[in-house]
Amino acid sequence: MSDKIVVLEVSGLEALHLAGIVGQFRDIVADSRRDDDPAVARLLPDAYPDDDEATREFRRLTGDDLLGRRAADAEVVLHTLGMDGGDVRTDSDPGATLTIALGEDEALSWMRTLSAVRLVLATRLGIQSEDDHQPDDPRFGIYDWIGYRLDGLVSALDRR
Amino acid sequence: MVGTALPDLDVVEDTDLSAVPPSSWQTVVWNDPVNLMSYVSHVFRSYFGFDAATAERLMLSVHHDGHAVVARGPREVMEAHTQAMHDFGLWATVRKDPS
Repeated sequence: MSDKIVVLEVSGLEALHLAGIVGQFRDIVADSRRDDDPAVARLLPDAYPDDDEATREFRRLTGDDLLGRRAADAEVVLHTLGMDGGDVRTDSDPGATLTIALGEDEALSWMRTLSAVRLVLATRLGIQSEDDHQPDDPRFGIYDWIGYRLDGLVSALDRR
Repeated sequence: MVGTALPDLDVVEDTDLSAVPPSSWQTVVWNDPVNLMSYVSHVFRSYFGFDAATAERLMLSVHHDGHAVVARGPREVMEAHTQAMHDFGLWATVRKDPS
């Protein structure tokens, strides 16, 4: 049992939303048809922009493992949220605050997952520059909120 | 028949590692509109072991100049670094040293 190094406090409602998003993310990276998905492509950048052959070979050697690690990270997030396998607790009080204590490996899984979820959301939202932002679109609210959570987690890890 | 102690010259040539300088490849990280500056800086520090000032300088270089060379060395090592950057969601590529 590793030492807990980061403590997150999230509301029950936040936890429900997060579990829903991370569960969808896990399903996307685990989908066998994922190769056609531009959001998945963003998780596997072209390693050799000027050499298609080398890029394909790099992706062939590293792509499946990388997406497998994303799915495994997402499982860790769901597990530490107490919501494994997409089995979201509907009976919990959405106003209650959950305290989530993370060990180092768990915190890194959270960090990589929040970062990857933002990349997927950005692709879905068509974000192509730092100025692409529509305050009226609630999906941007989710995007910003995950960024806020990621920044907080990075700060906590940096303070150690 | 007696054996010879002389090496096969062809084999010797093939194992001449000096033909390609080992430092002629780079790992490059490119700017994107999604990844947080604090996160990129954290990844540079935690993965490469850079001190805070170096990580911050490279992160700002990515942000303002559009990219930064974060490592130089043999191709296999640069590919491993690139894969690690992809693991963190950073947009990294491998290239031959253009200089």
